Amino acid sequence: MNSQVLSVFDELLRSPRAIAERSRAGGDLRPLFVASLAALVLGAGVFGATLATSRGGLQLLYSGVKLPLAMVATMLLVVPAFHAIAAGLGRPLSFSGMIGLTLAAAGRGALVLVALSPLTWLCFDRGLTYHPGVLLAVACYGLAGVAALDLVLKGVGFDARGFAIVSLFAGVLFVTGGQTAWMLRPFLGRPSAATVPFFRHRESSFWDAVQQSSLSSFGVYQLTKVEAEGEAIRSSAPGPRLENADESR
Amino acid sequence: MISVPRPSLGARLTSSETHGAAQELARLGVGLGLAAVYGLALGARTGAMSLVQHALAASAGLAAVAVLGIPALFVLLALVNAPVSPGAMLSAGARSLASAGFVLAGLAPSAALLAVTIESPDAAAFVTRAGLTLAGGIGLFQLASSVRAMLHDLTPEARLKCNALLLCFSLFAIMLAARVWYSLPILKGAA
Repeated sequence: MNSQVLSVFDELLRSPRAIAERSRAGGDLRPLFVASLAALVLGAGVFGATLATSRGGLQLLYSGVKLPLAMVATMLLVVPAFHAIAAGLGRPLSFSGMIGLTLAAAGRGALVLVALSPLTWLCFDRGLTYHPGVLLAVACYGLAGVAALDLVLKGVGFDARGFAIVSLFAGVLFVTGGQTAWMLRPFLGRPSAATVPFFRHRESSFWDAVQQSSLSSFGVYQLTKVEAEGEAIRSSAPGPRLENADESR
Repeated sequence: MISVPRPSLGARLTSSETHGAAQELARLGVGLGLAAVYGLALGARTGAMSLVQHALAASAGLAAVAVLGIPALFVLLALVNAPVSPGAMLSAGARSLASAGFVLAGLAPSAALLAVTIESPDAAAFVTRAGLTLAGGIGLFQLASSVRAMLHDLTPEARLKCNALLLCFSLFAIMLAARVWYSLPILKGAA
């Protein structure tokens, strides 16, 4: 079993087509499940901890635990949608095959995150600040996502219908994964923060944050009622003001 | 003895094979039941009676298309001498609505997370609409594919008429389903 798991690690990187075909064929998928889950937990854990090096301390442990948790939770939530979309568009796969394919794709993405961890650490070590750090993390997730979706595409078929299935699935994955990660933040943590919370209190949503960030990039800043009240109090107090000083992602 | 693996629920619901009326009605019923699962997920935002309201409204959108739309499409296609039979239309309708219901059920876990955790009513309404649009679109795609498969032997002129009717039906089905689905409290801005 151990040697089979190790050979799956290798296949995840080198032969996504073989992994996709194995998921489609069904049969004994346990080595694939174990290897993919191990790659997912290990890869996301290492990358999560790397992101937290900008904050250090307890945040290293928290992010190392929370990023795999976010990825596994997202996988659990989106597999039924993937199964249904593929069946609805005429590419029905067995549910276990679908789980194998999705888990393998996530594991492959996580291995890409491991490969990007040293570069990410080096950037933070050389003084990369908070906001560029967030952008770097997003770019890393993007690269890992492309590697993962490549495997999924090979599983559902490399044609127009396959592209449609993967695109719709990617949309569901983006929204669900974004909201799951949003609920589990912070992952980087602010260096200026006095304490390190495991979770931030519930506020707004991933969707609202995307909307707000899009507006902010065009120089339009929106404040909620609570923020506006806080702003009024802070503006009357002495001392320097930092942009987005209370945010952490 | 060689055992043949049983096809998955998704494969059975979306299969293009035609069965007897009872089996097709059962397929339709399963599709409507699965659509109710999506409604339940949306109703989790406020809980209690909202669960039932959302479950009923989510299924009702598909049921309205089944009851009001599919028979009308059959009559119109028959008027232009398309080679369609009531049995084949029932099968096509059951297949498309079962596909839409299956997709809605698949989206239910994500919808439950989003409905419960998103604070903004507008954002919650947006993701609800996106889910309904995705499932409705896949259902329409299945129906159009099934009906077009029946039109192979027609002359190009007759096929053009049938395709035009199919397009008009698609617009009608979208408006009808949207009309019913807009009774969902989450789309009316219920917190």
